[in-house]
Amino acid sequence: MQSILRPSFKGSAQPEALPAMKQLTYAQALQQGMSQAMELDERVFLAGQLVDYKSGVFGTTGGLVEKFGAARVRDFPVAESVMTSTAIGAALGGMRPVLVHHRLDFMLYSMDAIVNWLSLWRFKSNGKASLPITIRAIVGKGWGQGPQHSKSLHAWFAHVPGLQVAMPVTPFDAKGLLLESIFGENPTIIIEHRALFSMTEDVPEVPYRVRFGRARIRRPGRDVTLVAIGAMVPIALKVAEQLTARSIDVEVLDPRTISPLDTDAICQSVMKTGRLVVADPAWKSFSVAAEVITAVSEKMGDRLRANPLRITLPDSHTPMSAPLEKAYYPDETTVVNAVTSWFRR
Amino acid sequence: MNTITHQSLADAGSYRDFSITGADSGVVKKLHRFMLRLRQCEEALSREYHPADEMRCPVHFCIGQEAVPAALSLVLGQDDYLFCHHRSHGYYLAKDAPMRELFAELYGKKTGANGGIAGSQDISYAPRNFFSGAILGGAAAISVGTALSAQLRKNPAVTVAGFGESAMDEGIMWEAVSYAALCRLPLVFICENNKYSVFSPQLKRQAADNLSERAAAFGVKSVALFGNDVIKAHAAVKRAVDDAHNGGGPWFIEAYTYRWCGHYGPESDDIIGYRSEQEVEFWKANCPIALLEAEMKRNGLLTEAAKAEMIREIDAEIADAFRFAKSSDFPTIADWRALNLNPASPRADQLLADIDFAEPAFNPNQSVAQPKGY
Repeated sequence: MQSILRPSFKGSAQPEALPAMKQLTYAQALQQGMSQAMELDERVFLAGQLVDYKSGVFGTTGGLVEKFGAARVRDFPVAESVMTSTAIGAALGGMRPVLVHHRLDFMLYSMDAIVNWLSLWRFKSNGKASLPITIRAIVGKGWGQGPQHSKSLHAWFAHVPGLQVAMPVTPFDAKGLLLESIFGENPTIIIEHRALFSMTEDVPEVPYRVRFGRARIRRPGRDVTLVAIGAMVPIALKVAEQLTARSIDVEVLDPRTISPLDTDAICQSVMKTGRLVVADPAWKSFSVAAEVITAVSEKMGDRLRANPLRITLPDSHTPMSAPLEKAYYPDETTVVNAVTSWFRR
Repeated sequence: MNTITHQSLADAGSYRDFSITGADSGVVKKLHRFMLRLRQCEEALSREYHPADEMRCPVHFCIGQEAVPAALSLVLGQDDYLFCHHRSHGYYLAKDAPMRELFAELYGKKTGANGGIAGSQDISYAPRNFFSGAILGGAAAISVGTALSAQLRKNPAVTVAGFGESAMDEGIMWEAVSYAALCRLPLVFICENNKYSVFSPQLKRQAADNLSERAAAFGVKSVALFGNDVIKAHAAVKRAVDDAHNGGGPWFIEAYTYRWCGHYGPESDDIIGYRSEQEVEFWKANCPIALLEAEMKRNGLLTEAAKAEMIREIDAEIADAFRFAKSSDFPTIADWRALNLNPASPRADQLLADIDFAEPAFNPNQSVAQPKGY
């Protein structure tokens, strides 16, 4: 794979040389981003279960307690609800809290704090207050994680006004979106798919930002727009490579953030290809996949050359047994079948 | 066992421990004026609520529950944090937030404390660190965070969380008490135990009315008192806030009190038959203002003429607040999105390099490592 790094510097500063880079895993990129955030601003603190143990949260929090101390790297009780409430109060008091949940499923205890308080705090203040809170939620997949360790509920959170939802896929985006969330002013939920944690990429060593609402074309193509979310992105890219052999040129678009969603970029791509398929690792009904298709249909449904498609999980909870798990998750074959269904005679 | 509960108060028939002996007369007068102002304010609002129907939001009046807010008004400084439940007006005034902006908020006007967006049960006044909300335990749980931020930033502010005994039905409250105790946070929980969650009495929802004892078991200092005794309430709040301020850790104060009105709105909901006439009469006979006034008169601290003059002043302030609210404009909304999300990011602009790579650098042909376990 090529790695021609031609950065486009969108800020006012125009560095003459490329920034120094280092190959990092997704987990290491998150750790580096967190460490830099805590160095940059003493008001940043981290809370979550087991964040101060050597192994960290799957390698994303290791080494932080030694550098920043237990007051700022807080091994929180198994009280997800008050953990979120505490973050709200701490942000009111001027802090920039970062929370981490080993599984998104665990954070559901804090839905009252998130939906009834955090999401509407700025609204209730008549647009005056801001709560800069980052909540990292990890989604499991495989090895029998089952129905309470594998839910990716990005559609839920994206539905609620006043929250931002990021779904970084690459190490570069993981670090950049984490830092953008911590030093931005809005409550943000970062949904991290555990399957991506060992993926590597060259990552700039400086602290940098990836802005919300800016999709990334991961692979340009002419025939099909494949919007891939989270863990579906690497699968989509592999499929796109495979399909060149069948002369189908797939454009893979990674929204990177679900809320706000870069519908302009998606529409631009569909304008070119006329075909839209969304690969969303979540339940089919009322999903982000449904929202993407609706948004495109509203703006330019008459430009679609074929019915849009959704590649999702079935509307079912996650099974444990390995063969059922294999049947449950869409894989390369699922994506190939969906895309080629338009081109069969 | 608790020395005081709703049952013990009812069994005693009347409250006989009220005394202002030893209390500073200046403090006594301020407590009295605060309660009188709050009572006048609530009665005026409830008279105006119907049939005018211009305050188009749920309002939970706190008539009968003036003592705890009065105590807080004397103890808390401008930078201390105060959180409370939906029965918010007493707490709002306890933080010395302006009456005009309270009234305008109830009328949904843009001059309201929250531009008319929040209303009575969600009102806040950030310049005085006052916040409320209508999901019982939620605000009290958030108070843990302001206390933590004060501890982390070595800020001398104390946080006080006011809530009712119904909030203690919710698990979040026990998480909050437990974490406050663990971290020895500068936080005072004040439970206004008014016995009812709407119509449902505490002993239908909880096995005992000994919340202060249960809180103590979590490792916080706790005290129960007759919540209509404003002198005792003031002493307890002052002691707890001073102690929390000096690093003594969190407190739990349980103040037994009673609302005279229905759960919400100006009408009585006694038609439901959920509480006895005798019970309501007991609490009206032990009105926090009347108890104090009787003692003040006995001690030469109050005359009827002085009270009448005070009421004239307060009523003028209330009339002005009504005029302000009614004559203010309704809000308009230009940008729903900016109302919900902050479009600016000054801190990120300052600290982060704005690099975003136009060329894809991510190699998808890496094998996904399946963790064999968790």
